[in-house]
Amino acid sequence: MKKHTHTKERDKHFNLNALVEACCERMEKEYQQHNRLPTPIPSPIIEITKESNGVSTIWIQVPTILATDYKPGQYFMCWNPYDSEGGMSKKNYNSEKPYSVGDIRVDRSGIDEETAPDQGLDGSTMMGFTIKNLGRQSGELIKMEKGDWFAIRGPFGTNFQTPNFGETLILVSGGIGSTPMHMAAKEARNKLGDKLTIHSIMGFQTSDDVHYHDKMGEICDSVTVTTDDGSFGLQGYPTIPLREIISNCEPSNTKLFTCGPEPMMKPVLEICEENGIESYAAMERYLPCSVAACGLCMVGDRLTCRQGPVMEGSWLLEQDDFGSPHYH
Amino acid sequence: MAQLTVHAPGLDLPNPLMLASGLQGGSVSALERVAKSRCGGLVSKSIGPSPREIYPGPVCVEAMNGVILNAMGLPNPGVDAFSKMLANNEFAKPMLVSIFGPDSESFSNIAIKMEKSGATALELNLSCPHSKPGSTALIVGQQPNLIHEYVSAVKDVVNIPVYAKLTPNTASIAIEAGAALNAGADGISLINTVSALEIDPFAGRPIIGNLLCGMSGPTIRPIAQRKIAEVALAMRRGDIPVAPILGMGGITTGLDVARFIMLGATAVQIGSALIYDDIDVFETIEKELNDFMDVQGFRDLESMRGIALDSLEGLN
Ligand SMILES: Cc1cc2nc3c(=O)[nH]c(=O)nc-3n(C[C@H](O)[C@H](O)[C@H](O)COP(=O)(O)O)c2cc1C
Ligand code: FES
Repeated sequence: MKKHTHTKERDKHFNLNALVEACCERMEKEYQQHNRLPTPIPSPIIEITKESNGVSTIWIQVPTILATDYKPGQYFMCWNPYDSEGGMSKKNYNSEKPYSVGDIRVDRSGIDEETAPDQGLDGSTMMGFTIKNLGRQSGELIKMEKGDWFAIRGPFGTNFQTPNFGETLILVSGGIGSTPMHMAAKEARNKLGDKLTIHSIMGFQTSDDVHYHDKMGEICDSVTVTTDDGSFGLQGYPTIPLREIISNCEPSNTKLFTCGPEPMMKPVLEICEENGIESYAAMERYLPCSVAACGLCMVGDRLTCRQGPVMEGSWLLEQDDFGSPHYH
Repeated sequence: MAQLTVHAPGLDLPNPLMLASGLQGGSVSALERVAKSRCGGLVSKSIGPSPREIYPGPVCVEAMNGVILNAMGLPNPGVDAFSKMLANNEFAKPMLVSIFGPDSESFSNIAIKMEKSGATALELNLSCPHSKPGSTALIVGQQPNLIHEYVSAVKDVVNIPVYAKLTPNTASIAIEAGAALNAGADGISLINTVSALEIDPFAGRPIIGNLLCGMSGPTIRPIAQRKIAEVALAMRRGDIPVAPILGMGGITTGLDVARFIMLGATAVQIGSALIYDDIDVFETIEKELNDFMDVQGFRDLESMRGIALDSLEGLN
């Protein structure tokens, strides 16, 4: 007989919330000891939000310290220890994959009543990982349900720096590159309030992929959505609205962050170079190990898992191996 | 400043700190990056007969303090792609090319191609299964007769020096070292990872994608030291031929390097330490080793090599 540790298989005395709390406590202990989670710590999924066709956000409860220490652009290695059929053999495509955090709901119960919408279950702190169905591996993640195990390890890597008072921040995303852009916008707004202008450009393939534009709308001064086929927002690539936004900015007072497929980011960074705008990009490479062991994540002479994923645009443009598609 | 140079077959190293096989060493750009650090030499990722993809992750995890677990699945570009890269690149440091294969014939074919492409020395990764029927439960490195067969097969077809890399997962490592040296190996590398397993109690399954894994990092250092001492003592006693030992397993500091040299190692390899501090470890370790040797009055590595073996000589 096959025994399962899946929460749905447990008897009626089983208390999911107690298990969630126990996993969260375990994470907190590990985090306090190492300043990161060095080993994958599983936790039951407590909520799944459908963002669009084929894009979902998986929410797990985390210790508040993990959420408040997290910096936009950093990634976690995310893993479902069982595939959708409950199997775990080597043949299943449930490999661990890097995701940056898409959204965080911090428990501010003791701080400020007015942030109630920001709270998770029972006022706990939750982290959301937004996942698009890109193939077998992420396809497995997309099939997950409430109560399924979801393990995280990290955070790893470099992050976007908070801009300065009075600056203009331009955020350009392609696909689920939306996630670090959202966290960067959120952080900048939290820290600088209205002493900062944020323009967001979000590129997608078709209207089916469009997500996070409402969230961004609440934070940013402007949000422009583009789709390759024109089925939502402007038709074309993010570079079109980008040129227009830049023409109204003071370059020395403007920073640009981008995340998305490399063929999309390259022209974006080139426009920044032409216009003398400081730019940073979060690289979406497949990072098999995340710990500087495999050497399979090189860009130029850097390891993306450790010296990235966030790197300077000017440096990236000098690398021969930047700008072509990398499949997950 | 102490004199840190090392001279061994195929290896003229500015210092004894080599990169261990498998860490970052599967592509030219990654190897070039390591070569620019203060390491003394390189060992490539183990290269097999054809390209291999990495296993599903988690592939490499710090499971506890000082415990690194991995099952990468020997991802590598394959001998043809790698020998092309070798032929077209000069590395700033000497390099051992690590190879593996399903049988001794495959080992010798890969060895020939590597020598043609300019490899100056080889390391045979014997921690791989033997594909012939009858011995699949054990890896090659656990069977002295197969070690002899594989090493002889490679020595028969190449002129460059050959180091045999041994697994610690055996009863008496001096026997395996003897099998390799009697077959003509020019040196011994040890140890490969210790076989291991870790379970996540909440998920109720192993934490590594491949389920089974190998253990490395600081916690295996005493195991490595014991194995190296056993081989070095067997050489002293004349039980097995004398040859250079490349020691590894859990080295993270200059003092660790001193320990290995004092147990008879000619040079050392450093792997898991990169997971903690990336390639900067080579500079830190070199400085620590230098400072230690200066304060102890060791002018070169030879003057401290093997001195800890004296106290162990009577043991078996
Ligand atoms: C991620 C990883 C990959 C490895 N890959 C190889 C390999 O391809 N070939 C090999 O001979 N040894 C491989 N090893 C073993 C190391 O070369 C070394 O023998 C072992 O890790 C002990 O040294 P350390 O504690 O300094 O890491 C690997 C070790 C690790 C941690
Ligand atoms: S992901 Fe393995 S070295 Fe970067």
